[in-house]
Amino acid sequence: MRRSHEPIAWSLFGAGGMLLAFIGPGLVLATALLPWLAAHDPVATHAAVGALLAHPLGKLLVLACVVLPLFHTLHRIYHSLHDLHLRAPRRLMQLLCYGGATLLSGVTAWWLLLI
Amino acid sequence: MTETVTVRVQRYRPEEDQEPWAQSFEVPYSEDLSILDALNQIKDQQDPTLSHRWSCRMAICGSCGVMINGEPRLACKTFLRDYRGKDALEVRALDNFPIERDLVSDISGFIDHLETVQPWLIRSDEQPVSAGAYRQTPEQMQRYAAFSQCINCGLCYAACPQFGRDPAFLGPAALTLAQRYNLDSRDEGASQRMNWLNAEAGVWSCTFVGYCSQVCPKDVDPAAAINQGKVASDINYAVNLFNILRGKDDA
Amino acid sequence: MRKPYVQRQRADWWLRNPAYRRYMLREATALPLLFYTLLLMSGLYQFTRGEAAFLGWLELLRNPWLLALHGVALAAALFHAVTWIALVPKILVIDTDRLRVSPTVVKRLHQVGAVVCNVGLLLLVLLLVGGGR
Ligand code: SF4
Ligand code: FES
Repeated sequence: MRRSHEPIAWSLFGAGGMLLAFIGPGLVLATALLPWLAAHDPVATHAAVGALLAHPLGKLLVLACVVLPLFHTLHRIYHSLHDLHLRAPRRLMQLLCYGGATLLSGVTAWWLLLI
Repeated sequence: MTETVTVRVQRYRPEEDQEPWAQSFEVPYSEDLSILDALNQIKDQQDPTLSHRWSCRMAICGSCGVMINGEPRLACKTFLRDYRGKDALEVRALDNFPIERDLVSDISGFIDHLETVQPWLIRSDEQPVSAGAYRQTPEQMQRYAAFSQCINCGLCYAACPQFGRDPAFLGPAALTLAQRYNLDSRDEGASQRMNWLNAEAGVWSCTFVGYCSQVCPKDVDPAAAINQGKVASDINYAVNLFNILRGKDDA
Repeated sequence: MRKPYVQRQRADWWLRNPAYRRYMLREATALPLLFYTLLLMSGLYQFTRGEAAFLGWLELLRNPWLLALHGVALAAALFHAVTWIALVPKILVIDTDRLRVSPTVVKRLHQVGAVVCNVGLLLLVLLLVGGGR
């Protein structure tokens, strides 16, 4: 029997799922309120975000908050499209979902390094 | 006049029918009548050509699995009274299996999957019978006890959309059995079974729909077993990768 | 004579049973959460382009469509969190000779942890960003 490479996708999916369960709702609520919270002094908000992104640990945290949800959601979407009987070549779907997640992760890492 | 219940029973006679169809029967109602009793009543008193499987009548043999109002259930463990007041009571052959005749399913694919995972104690050196049984503490037995309660009824296969999509998927009961032996302290065959678990048709076809565990009449919780198998396969993958990096062959 | 009737799965199989619909709803939480992640990425991108661009992004968040996305994403994140943690004790089994934790305790610990982390994060943002008021 050929070994499946699903463990890589599943591990990232699992990590993303755990992260989203632990901080997903809080994070979404926070950014929803952000423009109003920041209204009295938007420049200070920019500075606060800047301080977070200047620190290596802050960068790592933000990277995790983007990369893991990307892999989590695109893994689910990949399997759901199969469940919905989407007629598309498997390889193409894998390329789009996991390739897409990898590409977007790379871009995010690049932006974080720019800061 | 005694109260009766209308039961719509799926029929499929391979000699004459191109596809299944439904036939209605009136069955006298009583509190303690199971769906299996109703089917037997129909066969004995109304239509002897009706085919269905059963044996123990007490949720042990696992042969009476059917779809009742769209849910996989044991006919002997389901009662007419549970459907009183519902507009319909419909009995069909189990989903996802080929229909042999009427309510009889062809479960040979499922049985093959069970054999695939080598559900027996594998030892590197068998000890002679004279040496007695392989010993195990109650705690060690507890680790796999729930997974060993399976009666091979196949309800979980009828509940599993991934098996319905691809019959090559080893499926809930077989993967649970693999996990049951892998967790058994007396067993030494995990590495052989992992070859099957690691495959696409092994644990990795499962998307944790979880309906298998809901319908299981023995509370085996196959979905939990499969996903614990995923963790095992994950670790196995990492170890294998590590070995390749150290220059060893792919396992 | 054998002529087994092969039942093929229909593409709409998941509509025909409440358990399957709930499963699909769980999987569908991925869609709004993906869009939300892309929104976070756009914020990060605007940040790399300077203060003005980032402040523009902050204003953009007032857009009713993006607020609606936030609403759907919040519902999705909550549903995800509940369904996810319900499954954790089935996968994470702690049962060795030295350490045993019952599935109920594993679940409770995750529930408490998730509430603490989510509320903590929210409070932190409220304090750091809104605190100057
Ligand atoms: S795991 Fe449960 S539902 Fe599946 S075959 Fe065994 S007893 Fe039946
Ligand atoms: S007749 Fe044996 S399980 Fe129902």
